[in-house]
Amino acid sequence: MSHIHFPDGVLPVWLWVSGFVVTILVGVILFRFTKKEELARRLPLLGMMAAAMILGASVEIVPIAYHVNLTVISGILLGPSLIFLATFLVNIILALFGHGGITVIGLNTLTLSIEGILGYFLFRILWRVLRRLTPAIFLATFLALLCSTVSMIGVVGLGASHYEELIHQEDEQGIFEFKLLKDKADHPEASATKERVNLKRFISIVLPLGFIGWMLEGVITSLIGRYIHRLRPDLLRLEKGTP
Amino acid sequence: MIQLSYLDYSAVEGKSSLHRLSPKVKVIGMAFVLLTIVTVRNIPGLLLLYVILLGLFLLSRVPWRIFSLTLYPLIFAVLFIFVSGFQIRFILLVFLKVLCGSTGVVLLLATTPYPSIFRILGKVLPPFFVTALFLTYRSVFILLDVVEETQHALYLRGGLQWRHPWRSLVNISNAFGHLIIKGIDASEKMYESMVLRGFKNKIHYRGE
Repeated sequence: MSHIHFPDGVLPVWLWVSGFVVTILVGVILFRFTKKEELARRLPLLGMMAAAMILGASVEIVPIAYHVNLTVISGILLGPSLIFLATFLVNIILALFGHGGITVIGLNTLTLSIEGILGYFLFRILWRVLRRLTPAIFLATFLALLCSTVSMIGVVGLGASHYEELIHQEDEQGIFEFKLLKDKADHPEASATKERVNLKRFISIVLPLGFIGWMLEGVITSLIGRYIHRLRPDLLRLEKGTP
Repeated sequence: MIQLSYLDYSAVEGKSSLHRLSPKVKVIGMAFVLLTIVTVRNIPGLLLLYVILLGLFLLSRVPWRIFSLTLYPLIFAVLFIFVSGFQIRFILLVFLKVLCGSTGVVLLLATTPYPSIFRILGKVLPPFFVTALFLTYRSVFILLDVVEETQHALYLRGGLQWRHPWRSLVNISNAFGHLIIKGIDASEKMYESMVLRGFKNKIHYRGE
């Protein structure tokens, strides 16, 4: 829910090209600031976590079109720079299976990595404040998913004028061209209302469905975190004296 | 996602003319399909592209079981139609774009072994990134084996039952937790064996 499962060709070119540019820029900066040896050592781990995220994406809850992302738990385990690269890899492979368009890989990487990076930092902060693992992971996941869904809605909103073009282009070119243009000239305010893309309806559907998804993901992520803490607490890199 | 291994099998074992075609030509073809999806804004044009892709699907003799993968993105496209206010033309346009894109990529992956695709990507992307892509793809198959093992354990613990949602959530979370821990263990072993075989930030493909 928190990332865009839109097909190629629906979002405006400037938007998805900007998505790629920003993603590449962020990727290059992160690559420059990460030690090469450290990166090479953690490459298999990066691949494995990305694979776990891909498998998570295949568990689909069809009625609400939701799947588990595992981005927050991956962010907690990998750290902020590696989770960015992991989400990029995940989106490329998912796009190769038709799960989201190829052109939206950049934008999907940005929205998904917001989830992973925010999840990592929120978990660290909440852990320091609450000192309890389950609520810290649950809240971090819930808030991170809320932010990434809002950013996804923002991206969709940015393309509003482009959807209007797609919806009404045939009206302007079709056999009724003269009549429609005449109507437009006669009633400009009516035409403006007709051409408005219904983003409110989109938001009113995405947010309630998203809420169910955030709750589910929050519960699942905190249970996964608890399981990992029980078996391999070193992976969570928490300070000593943890419960 | 279990169909992933089947897709890989089809790409390696397929004998059609599309399977034999150079991977470079197929990737260029896919780029052309993408360009058409992005630029064409009329239904007949997209319908023609979809018919061509379906024709190629038939020609390549890719099992129809794989075809269901191309329909999967429609679940999400349904959400997008709410933006348009249920305008039939827009819905058709979006659905055709979805189907053309997914059919194109599934066809590419079902007729081209993934190392060949990654080798081409290696000419444009940094080697570190292509290595990470390769390792991710390889890890999916490792984790699929773990999933199979975990499924049995999951059923023995009650599996997924709608009547017991909390128990189901705990079971599914434990399964994912197990998957992650097993995956991390496997990744540590994988790195050690790669270093023993001379790995230095880059995987070399046959013929390089």
